[in-house]
Amino acid sequence: MALLEISGVRAGYGPGPDILTDVSMSIEEGASYCIIGPNGAGKSTLLKTVAGLLAPRDGTVTFDDQPIGGLRPDRVLRAGVCFVPQDRTLFPEMTVKENLVMGGYLVRDRRLIEERMERTLAMFPRLAERSSQLAQTMSGGEQQILALARALMIEPRLMMIDEPSLGLAPQINAVVFDAIRRLVSEMGITVVLVEQNVKKGLEATDRAFVLDLGTKRFEGPSDRILDDPRLRDLYLGSLAAPAAPAAES
Amino acid sequence: MHYVQVLILGILLGGVYALMASGLTLLFGVMRVVNLSHAAFVVLAAYFSYYLFAGWGVDPLLSMLAALPLFFLLGAGLYRLLFPRIEGSPKFPEMTVLLTFGLAFVLEGLMSYFFTGIFRTVNTSYAREAFTLGDLFIPTGQFYALLTSSLLLTGLWLFLKFTRLGYGVRATMQNRDAAQIVGVDVRRVSTIAFGIGMAVAGAAGALVSFIFPFFPSRHWQWIAILLSLIVLGGLGSLKGAVIGALGLAVISSFVSDSIGPVWAPITFFGVLFIVLLIRPHGLFGKKVRI
Repeated sequence: MALLEISGVRAGYGPGPDILTDVSMSIEEGASYCIIGPNGAGKSTLLKTVAGLLAPRDGTVTFDDQPIGGLRPDRVLRAGVCFVPQDRTLFPEMTVKENLVMGGYLVRDRRLIEERMERTLAMFPRLAERSSQLAQTMSGGEQQILALARALMIEPRLMMIDEPSLGLAPQINAVVFDAIRRLVSEMGITVVLVEQNVKKGLEATDRAFVLDLGTKRFEGPSDRILDDPRLRDLYLGSLAAPAAPAAES
Repeated sequence: MHYVQVLILGILLGGVYALMASGLTLLFGVMRVVNLSHAAFVVLAAYFSYYLFAGWGVDPLLSMLAALPLFFLLGAGLYRLLFPRIEGSPKFPEMTVLLTFGLAFVLEGLMSYFFTGIFRTVNTSYAREAFTLGDLFIPTGQFYALLTSSLLLTGLWLFLKFTRLGYGVRATMQNRDAAQIVGVDVRRVSTIAFGIGMAVAGAAGALVSFIFPFFPSRHWQWIAILLSLIVLGGLGSLKGAVIGALGLAVISSFVSDSIGPVWAPITFFGVLFIVLLIRPHGLFGKKVRI
């Protein structure tokens, strides 16, 4: 059984139309995945549905053999699934350290929080240098790293990261993707990535799903998708014209 | 020396305003609830102290200890009863204005019916006394009220700054979505924050009961002043509410001394008007959309 099993999920916002019409995919433990597809394909919606921020209208989401579809976000988090949304959503008037403490909100044990904070800061020296700085005063790249570090505080088994490179300069991008690779290789965390910068996203992951019009169109090893001219033409518009990857609005 | 005296009277007044305003700004910060019934609950708590004193001679400072948990439960209960119905609405802050405006009327009507419209005040011994400090004249009742307010505000600050739940409340104030993402149960935190806001209003009522005369419709005058205080300080900022309250109370005390007491209430709105011209989001506020 896969770690995360999504099957036949249909979802949308409020009284609006279905954004996801019928999505099924399975995520194996210890691997990394990239979800790609055009704007409006439902990539972010899919992550929000798994994270519990949106209840599926139909279908099931199973994590480690437990159904998590429609659970409250804190319950999903407790099960070991965490979500780093695309606008980074930090606590602007808290320091780096306080943001990390908030990341361990569900942990309760102060000693354990302290321990994990030290380990996390050791992993990201940039954050350690700025540990008493307010989150709102940091650069975009540092904020993204902090968002990742904060998510590590509950020691998740699965981490879903939405558009980590959004609004970042190319050289800072490299730092962020390097951090994401280390989540998988050093910490054994399963990673699901949604990325507009398709090339970077595919390079950083093992497997990929192509999502279009609310359903899965293709699935395969990331490097094969990178090299497949047919798929490029069909779905990877930004790859064909790599000059300016458009930001999702 | 005269001006020091006026300053002190202003600060004494400001302490109680700060306490009343802190609850209001907390509710707005955590839940985007503009609670127009806040001062009506202050008046209700003042009656609570009044009847305990009239009936059994309970000191208002003692009845305050009972008002704190009672008003906490009242607030938490009211939140659960009234607010989930409008929670998903995109016009939530506007809806809360209407809801709490109605609540204020209901409360005022009930109080007028049961307690009549007669002016009341709790006549404890210290409410009528004063002591001197050198040449300075300090009303004992207001001094106690300031002291109690400072204690409660310090407690509130310590709670927000150092406890796990306090972290949850602050996190929800700063970024509701992010709070959800790290596992804060924002519904629970909101309920508790509403309870705390009301508990503070309850405590303020006990203090008000022996320093101001009150009657059911007095709350309109107070809520107007409180709103100007928290808008001045920046909506949702506890520090802003305290500084706004002390600052404005001192200014109004000087206005009342030099121009005349009739002009004192206008000070609040006059200063607010000027500050908003220069800083539209208040002294300590962030730019928020409501």
